Amino acid sequence: MTIVLHDASTIRLIGTCPADDGEVLLQHLLANPQAEVDWRGCESAHAAVIQVILVSRRSLRGPPAGSFLERLIDPALRRGGCQVPPSPRAPEVRER
Amino acid sequence: MMNEFLEQFLIESRDLVAQGTDDLMALAENPNDRERLDSAFRAFHTLKGAAGIVEFGAMMRTLHAAEDILASLRSSEEPINPDTLDEFLTCLDVTSRWLDAMQSTGEAPSTAEADADDMIVRLMGSGGAAEVSPASAPRDDAWIERLSIVAGNHFTGHRTALRYIPSSDAFFQGPDPMNVVAALPHPMIIDVVLSDPTISLESMSTFSCNLEIVALMEASGEQVRAALLNAPGKVEVRELASTVISPSEEVRATARTLIEAQLLLLQESDVDGLVGRQASAGRTAVNALLYLGRSELAANVERAIATTNDENSPDILIAAVEQALSGIGQPEPPNNSSRSSPVAPRALRVDMDRIDALVKLTGELIVVKNAIGHTAKLFQENEDPRVIMATLRTQHALFERLATELQNAVLRIRVLPLRSAFRRFPRLIREIAGSVGKTVRLIIEGESTEADATIVDALFEPLLHVLRNAVDHGIESPERRASAGKSAMGTLILRARRDADTVKIEVEDDGGGIDVDRVRAVACARGIATAETLAAMTDAEALGLVFAVGFSTASTVSNLSGRGVGMDSVRTAVERLGGQVTLESQPGIGTRVGLVIPFSLMMTRVMTVEVAGQAFGLPLDNVVETAIVPRDRIVPIGAGRAFVLRDQTVPLIDLADTLGIQHTDRLCPDQAKVVVALAAGQIGAIEVDRLGERMDVMLTPMEGLLNGMKGVSGTTLLGDGRVLIVLDVQEILS
Repeated sequence: MTIVLHDASTIRLIGTCPADDGEVLLQHLLANPQAEVDWRGCESAHAAVIQVILVSRRSLRGPPAGSFLERLIDPALRRGGCQVPPSPRAPEVRER
Repeated sequence: MMNEFLEQFLIESRDLVAQGTDDLMALAENPNDRERLDSAFRAFHTLKGAAGIVEFGAMMRTLHAAEDILASLRSSEEPINPDTLDEFLTCLDVTSRWLDAMQSTGEAPSTAEADADDMIVRLMGSGGAAEVSPASAPRDDAWIERLSIVAGNHFTGHRTALRYIPSSDAFFQGPDPMNVVAALPHPMIIDVVLSDPTISLESMSTFSCNLEIVALMEASGEQVRAALLNAPGKVEVRELASTVISPSEEVRATARTLIEAQLLLLQESDVDGLVGRQASAGRTAVNALLYLGRSELAANVERAIATTNDENSPDILIAAVEQALSGIGQPEPPNNSSRSSPVAPRALRVDMDRIDALVKLTGELIVVKNAIGHTAKLFQENEDPRVIMATLRTQHALFERLATELQNAVLRIRVLPLRSAFRRFPRLIREIAGSVGKTVRLIIEGESTEADATIVDALFEPLLHVLRNAVDHGIESPERRASAGKSAMGTLILRARRDADTVKIEVEDDGGGIDVDRVRAVACARGIATAETLAAMTDAEALGLVFAVGFSTASTVSNLSGRGVGMDSVRTAVERLGGQVTLESQPGIGTRVGLVIPFSLMMTRVMTVEVAGQAFGLPLDNVVETAIVPRDRIVPIGAGRAFVLRDQTVPLIDLADTLGIQHTDRLCPDQAKVVVALAAGQIGAIEVDRLGERMDVMLTPMEGLLNGMKGVSGTTLLGDGRVLIVLDVQEILS
């Protein structure tokens, strides 16, 4: 499982997210209009996933685990309108 | 080297540009003309196709954008907005410039991509943009600009910018676009945006790619292209070393402050570690200059750093930085290659009828050739010489008629209507007038008048200059016109007509006219003529001074006419074509500039003269009259000689002396045979031994080593096989 609905307020991206995850993420986002995206566990993500994040403009909790995502894509998504979540919580990377 | 393929492309594209311009101009007159709109659409469409064939990407995408807008205009019922039309016309102008560059260099100009970006942005902003589907047109071609903002100070030096729009099925076909991007060589900045920003989570499809990726890399264009070989979609790679991004004013100011700070640092001489500080301050200045795209100034500073390191004194570096600082304010040195003079068209489209006429004439000529063969046979068979003579006479007459017809037919091949030079004027005038806050309407008459293609081409520049002058200096400001009781809108008439062997063109304005007293004052102030000479001049003669080199009456140099060229350049250009310029002006009523140009450059009417047993030709256009002057009326004046002809003093030149030919004995020692000639408004007489006949000749210009020969305009063959040298009267007289 690479896209996980942690709770109604957080959707997690974990490991390597393939193209199909785009649809999964979209459904989660539509179902949880207030949820933020946490991609701190994400190593890499397919362009389809990146596109969904970009369209959503949701709060994006980073930095992602993958160095390419961290160095180049995360800043691009920030410029694209994905905010840093307002109240940084304690890091709680917890596998289900 | 230009290949045939490219040549064909240029001919065709020029035709299409002309067609498109015609259609757009007609649309401007009548915005509801659907036929013209369709025709313009076809012209743009075909042009785009042609660009595709020669793989001229910039031209292709520009025309594609225009075509899309035209297509949407075609499907809408609304009349076309004049601003949109303007952008289309500008688009054709830009294309035309590219074609010019291609014609002279054989390849697409290096600025084409940047021009295309600008043009597409303009087209998109022109009003038709709303209907354009984002998939078919580049939505935002200011991507480089965007990238430069994102990249900040990384955006300089040898970098490559990439714009990658994966095809819409890229998520499930071929490699993941993210992997493609991750594999880019040395990426510095990547920006990912939606190519259609309006999509929402509710409306989006996760199966269709809607991304536009731009990236800046520290790699060559080749490396970048290699990394994108298998990526499906639209890829645009631009090496930034060749495309200098013009920095904004703000950036310029920052860079300037930075350089000034380095200068202060350098001037504090009593600091430890001076050398190290010098070098680092110098380097900072170099970087700032490079960032501004001023590599030539940066190179200077860099050299100064090297010298300073050797000599341990900051003076040289300080001087170099100071120089660079003042250099930033100056405009960049012009790129010479882009200003090269236009090349005359090497190929011509010819009406089929004109070719047919030639074929028919050739047939008739063969008949005459056979008839002459027959006559020769009669002669061989000892036929009565009187019969042979009569036959030969008839055949000669026939042959002469055919030769003349053939000559005319050949000349007609090179003939074009002036429309092809005139059609760009209405828009240019509108633009020029707008930029100086005047409204001017241009009336064109006789645009179907024809002239030799070379002449039509060469007329554009001087005419534009005359028109520009009329708008800039002739037509008054709307307020002044109103107070003079004229309509606020100025009127310019461009009139052309054929008159015998010449084409007459007039540019008439209803402006304030030329102030002759001011012309006199300026001419005196600029040392063009002395006060006495000026006082002796008639008003008409004084007016002619505006054609003098170095004359310009505008007290403020405007960006239109103040380009360092005055009316003298117009006169030079027209005279180079064998024509003349005249000027009439009435204060408060207007000014009229007249151009008289020969219809064809190839045919010249000459008069033959003889000196020392040698024949020369003088162009009849220059000849005023011939006269026989008693020698006792020729008086020495200064170093030369002169005589009085009908109350006018005419300087006399001996042709043999001028050409450096040994004199033979004069036939009539007490009389001089002279040809009175007029060139460049200057009258003079040329003494010759014998006056000959008039004839029409095909002038062959001097070539190779003799090309620059003074006083000679060309040669032609005489009936007896001798070479007749045709003289350039203007150069002989001066």
